Amino acid sequence: MLEARNLTYMFYGYSAAFLILLGYVISLAMRERQLRGELDRVRRMVQDAGKK
Amino acid sequence: MGAFWNGVWTIAQKDLRSELRTKEAFNASFSFSLVILVLFSFAFDPTSEELHAIAGGLLWIVFSFAGALILNRSFARELQNDCLDALVSAPISTAALFLGKTLANYFLLLLVEGAALAVFAILYDTHFSKQFWPVVLVVVLGTWGMTIIGTMFSALTVNLRMREMMLPTLVYPLLIPALMAAMTLTTDLMGGTPLGPGNTIWLRVLAGFDLIYSVLAVVFIDIVLVG
Amino acid sequence: MTSSTRDRFIYTLAVICAALLVWDFYKIFMVLPDEANQGAIYRIVYVHVPSIFTGFTGFFVALVASGMYLGTKNLKYDAFAAAVTEVALAFATIVLATGMIWGRIAWGVWWAWDARLTTMLVCWLIYWGYVMLRRAIEEPTQRARLSAVVSIFGCADILIVWKSIEWWRTQHPAPVLSMRDGGGMAPGMEAPIYWNWLAMMCLATIFVLVRMRQEETSREIDSLRRLAHSY
Repeated sequence: MLEARNLTYMFYGYSAAFLILLGYVISLAMRERQLRGELDRVRRMVQDAGKK
Repeated sequence: MGAFWNGVWTIAQKDLRSELRTKEAFNASFSFSLVILVLFSFAFDPTSEELHAIAGGLLWIVFSFAGALILNRSFARELQNDCLDALVSAPISTAALFLGKTLANYFLLLLVEGAALAVFAILYDTHFSKQFWPVVLVVVLGTWGMTIIGTMFSALTVNLRMREMMLPTLVYPLLIPALMAAMTLTTDLMGGTPLGPGNTIWLRVLAGFDLIYSVLAVVFIDIVLVG
Repeated sequence: MTSSTRDRFIYTLAVICAALLVWDFYKIFMVLPDEANQGAIYRIVYVHVPSIFTGFTGFFVALVASGMYLGTKNLKYDAFAAAVTEVALAFATIVLATGMIWGRIAWGVWWAWDARLTTMLVCWLIYWGYVMLRRAIEEPTQRARLSAVVSIFGCADILIVWKSIEWWRTQHPAPVLSMRDGGGMAPGMEAPIYWNWLAMMCLATIFVLVRMRQEETSREIDSLRRLAHSY
């Protein structure tokens, strides 16, 4: 059962943990997007080079 | 075994001789230590009693900054004219090359530290003459730990673009246990507390650190330099 | 592992992890009473301690993977080591953040320079250096070789720091778990720690798998680029 004592800091603690995890997930997603773009670009480069 | 130590000695001699002719590293790192020692006087009251409580810490900060200057160049200076490739392909083991360089750096760093220690004692009126030999022992052990890690990472970062920045970022966190032990001991000794059951544990930390990393460095240097 | 089985494995793990977390949070917030001295804040322990376990498990696995890379020179182990270290670093950050917030109430300061907190900080700094080093090297085999050495040196250092800082100063609560000396926590209060650890290990495994796939993609990009230049 929850009481009011020190509740705010418990909330801060849990939010901090989730924010850090969220930040890591975002960084993973951003890198994923960047890599996919790069992969497409390089694939096209190989195809173009193969045609010549 | 004789050939191994011969190689070590040749490399150490080569490094020290080229340093003796230019005195570049010594001059740079000694003047840098002087500047830091003077700067410290503005951070706190240099005549107060509290100085004795932080003296050991200050001294080792100076030593580790001065060390970074020397160690940064240790392998980097061999890059010109592909000297490093020549050294690696020379008929000595990479461990001998590494130990030779470590010995040269060690000797150089001890010289700078000796000079800095003298200046520190004069400027800040510290008395460690009663505990002179214990202080020497701590300096000798602590500096070996610093040199072995520093030379190893000097070799590790030698081919990086951001060499000057990567070396301190990697070396200082690894040095924390050695520096912590050395700082605690130096502060104790300068405050007049002799080595005793209360602080010999730190001497063991220092010796253990030196031993563990000497072995690890000699084992892994071949992977770092050759692959 | 083919990519579709890997995806299915990731989704299964995600479902298990979500179910575990919901069950744990129900227990933690709805069933367990407040602790007598600390009030509600003691619940931070259910994030803090499992994160420590997850982080240290990660650093140890990274050490083993680094050794395997140096033994086999197979870049798969390097990708594994890099992924595990990065994920463990994220969990180490959680440990530091939750520790600081708990310390603000329990000790009155954000940072008490306590032994265990400082060990964790040193650990964090070392592996942050590892991540930085990997970013500074382009060539894959050189990067794998050098970062494996740093991982091994870092692990040795943490063992030394761990022992030496304990002699230095400590005000951290002694371990309260029953696996060491008797235990000071009621069994009902202790169980969610382990269940949360399991949930976090699932989460960490998902991250590692995703991160490893990214390493594979970037190797594929490298080889395609070489192919394009070879025409």
